[in-house]
Amino acid sequence: MLKYTIRRIIGMIPMLLLISIVVFLLAKAMPGDSLSGEIDPNNTNPEYIAEMRERLGYNDPLPVQYFDWIKGFVQGDFGKSTRYKMPVSDLIMERIPNTVFLGVSSLLITYILAFSMGIFAGRKPYTIGDHVIGGLNYLGLAIPSFIAGVFAIYIFSFNLGWTPYAGSVEVGLQEGTLEYWISRIHHVIMPAFVLGALATASYTQFLRNDIIENSRKDFVRTARAKGTATTKIYNVHILRNSIIPLITFLGFDIATIISGAIITETIFTYPGIGQLFLNSVTTNDYPTMMAITMLLSLLTLVGNLIADILYGVVDPRIRLD
Amino acid sequence: MKKKSLQLLMIMLLILSAFLAACSSDSSSENENETGGETSDGEEGSEEGASGGTLTYGFESAPEGLFNPAFYGIVTDADVIDLFDEALFTYDENLQPEPGIASWETEDNKVFTFTFEQGVMWHDGVELTVEDWVFALETIAHPDYDGSRYANVQTIEGAPAFREGEADSISGLNVVDEYTLEITFDEARVNNLVNVWSYPMSRAQFEGIEVADMSASEQVRQNPVGLGAFKVDNIVPGESIELVKFEDYWRGEPKLDGINIRVLDSSTVVGALGQGDIDMISLAPVNGEEVEALDNVEVITYPGLSYYYVGFKLGTFNSETNEITEDKEKYADLNLRKAMAHAINRQEWIDAFFFGYGSPVDGPVPSSHWIAADSADLSTYEYDPEKAKELLAEAGYEDVNGDGFVEDPNGDEFIAKFSHYQTTNPTFETRAQAIVQYWQEVGIQAEVEMTEVNLYYDMVEKDDPAIETFFGGWSTGADPDPTGLWGSDQIWNYPRYKNEESDKLLADALNIEVVGDDEEARAEIYKEWQQLISEDVPMIFIAELQEIAALSSRVDNVTYDVSGPNLPYEWSVTE
Repeated sequence: MLKYTIRRIIGMIPMLLLISIVVFLLAKAMPGDSLSGEIDPNNTNPEYIAEMRERLGYNDPLPVQYFDWIKGFVQGDFGKSTRYKMPVSDLIMERIPNTVFLGVSSLLITYILAFSMGIFAGRKPYTIGDHVIGGLNYLGLAIPSFIAGVFAIYIFSFNLGWTPYAGSVEVGLQEGTLEYWISRIHHVIMPAFVLGALATASYTQFLRNDIIENSRKDFVRTARAKGTATTKIYNVHILRNSIIPLITFLGFDIATIISGAIITETIFTYPGIGQLFLNSVTTNDYPTMMAITMLLSLLTLVGNLIADILYGVVDPRIRLD
Repeated sequence: MKKKSLQLLMIMLLILSAFLAACSSDSSSENENETGGETSDGEEGSEEGASGGTLTYGFESAPEGLFNPAFYGIVTDADVIDLFDEALFTYDENLQPEPGIASWETEDNKVFTFTFEQGVMWHDGVELTVEDWVFALETIAHPDYDGSRYANVQTIEGAPAFREGEADSISGLNVVDEYTLEITFDEARVNNLVNVWSYPMSRAQFEGIEVADMSASEQVRQNPVGLGAFKVDNIVPGESIELVKFEDYWRGEPKLDGINIRVLDSSTVVGALGQGDIDMISLAPVNGEEVEALDNVEVITYPGLSYYYVGFKLGTFNSETNEITEDKEKYADLNLRKAMAHAINRQEWIDAFFFGYGSPVDGPVPSSHWIAADSADLSTYEYDPEKAKELLAEAGYEDVNGDGFVEDPNGDEFIAKFSHYQTTNPTFETRAQAIVQYWQEVGIQAEVEMTEVNLYYDMVEKDDPAIETFFGGWSTGADPDPTGLWGSDQIWNYPRYKNEESDKLLADALNIEVVGDDEEARAEIYKEWQQLISEDVPMIFIAELQEIAALSSRVDNVTYDVSGPNLPYEWSVTE
């Protein structure tokens, strides 16, 4: 397993290099540059823009720009955001706690909902309950998050007054106090729920189908014949087998936790990586945009590696060497 | 067994709802505490004339966090800065400078003597002296400075030499004493005063920080220190800022206890105002009508300083020599341009796309500016399709092949291409389409081309052949000098309009020997210039917009004029 892991990690290096070239070229292929939005005769002048272009190296040939960037990147210097004028690493670190908090909460909600619904539907396939769950799931899949977000705000914040609709914490609370954390949780519930509930469909349906399939297998029949309790059959024998395909999702989930939810974060004014990423694209903030893209690529690769390793742990029949 | 799993589901639902209920009760008790606190404050206040209380100021976009006048890049940051910092002089409702912390004297418009008020304090308790202003000017002129304000310093004598590293200080700055600074500009100009950088920077705070590191420093991003009525207490990046009153504010104690800034998404603005969660916000035209329907909110409009236009590409700009040549033939015919102007129903267009929060503008200066010429003195182009058709015929544009659209004087197909920028705003394409339809109605075949906004300005700036007529907007500052947008050696002169008379008028208006320090004389020249432009139609001037603000009924003493809201120390709230 160790050998396998090391081999995979070494294999990532050329992959990341290729990704970096693609990311860089795509970023540069975007029209304009980070200064094109700054045309305002009251605030700046053409000389300043020309000078900044020179200083930021936008006039250098592309390969030179690429190597300047990748050289810093490898050494952990992600560059300085052209919009926020601060190191990108600080900028990302500032946003990560919010994003991880939101990502973990929404995943938690997804898992809870998907497992309870999937197990229920799998045990009673083709009943009304199963169909209702299926219907709800596909409805969730079909509703875009920005619609769900706006409706959730309208209903739960404005009509019922249950949850806040903006920010990640109440104004004026001391960081670290119990009140502060309760407020954090209170603020994260609605965006997390919107994100989490809409994503349950694939998990639930995978789980359901696998449970149905497994329940017809020989080892289940044997267990039944032995007189094992149905609950035990489902919760131990079948569930353990049915989780394996879900591990594939876990690999992507790790990247999802960091990548944030662009639209949900914007609607709920929840300052996280997703919002930062969107802004960096619209303002051509190359260093920020490229750093986030690289980070997400890396996490997806690592997530997949972890998923592959977990296969072996959950199912000893899958051998890795 | 069936029952058990159903039970499980029910239990989970119960837990969830209990969780939600717990949170909601938590929030309502918080709210009660808050409002309770505020009412008691309000009562105290009513004894001494409405003071105390906290105002919640809503922002539709998140600040970038560059909370220093010398470094900020976007308007949102500037709005935050206005609450805790203050310039040395302010602008009245006619955009004329008036003394604030500093007053000035000059005899020749070249050498100015500024005198500071004594006892003006920074939020950290250090007294403001002219050294702080010198520090700000030298920071901006420093070669490592990464902001865009150098244009406001370069006219000071010796600033270019300082920037090149040839001098250790700016020779035009002469510190007479702690409260007196003499500034010598490189030449006498009428706009030296309004152009010069007028925000001091706390020397004590930035001590030991390299200029290159300033914009990322804590002093700019987390703990900014200013001279204004409120000081920054806590910043949660991207979502909220708490400001508390600064008791030693030099104009007197502010009436409010504090201001909370909250960032919210534009889709929640109306709901938040209705609930009374925010007291003050500037509105987008699209939300105006819905907010006006709310009982607890007042919508205030005040004149803005921006205008929209449809420009004609008349030539090209040579960036090597900084020269414009009017070498594009397609729209060279004055009558064609006039016809296209007469074809557009501006009022209808503004009502449809800006919900009435705007009015037609007839020249390159918004009508609320002190140099704006009266529409009666300008050549105006009212909506008149018949006149447009006549002008077209006069210019030789006639429908030769009977397709319903005119051909150019040579008998070739004439298609006007209209470019507009595209963002996520869905109304942009429709409003561009509307303009094109006006042209089609008078018989000009026209088509729209939407271009992504970054690429758009790139193409307009580089005179891309695909750009023929284009949509754009400009805003005017306190200093009315339009040379940057209209001079024939300027890259931002997008229509590539070249007219020696215009150049001469613009130069005269700045020439101290022609206008002296007589604002009237200067305004007269600008009016003459506006007449010239309106006669030549290098652009069709479409609309000037109003600024719209929403104030909840508990807010008092907030007033707006063309220079923006009044100073925040006067604001107050009642219950």
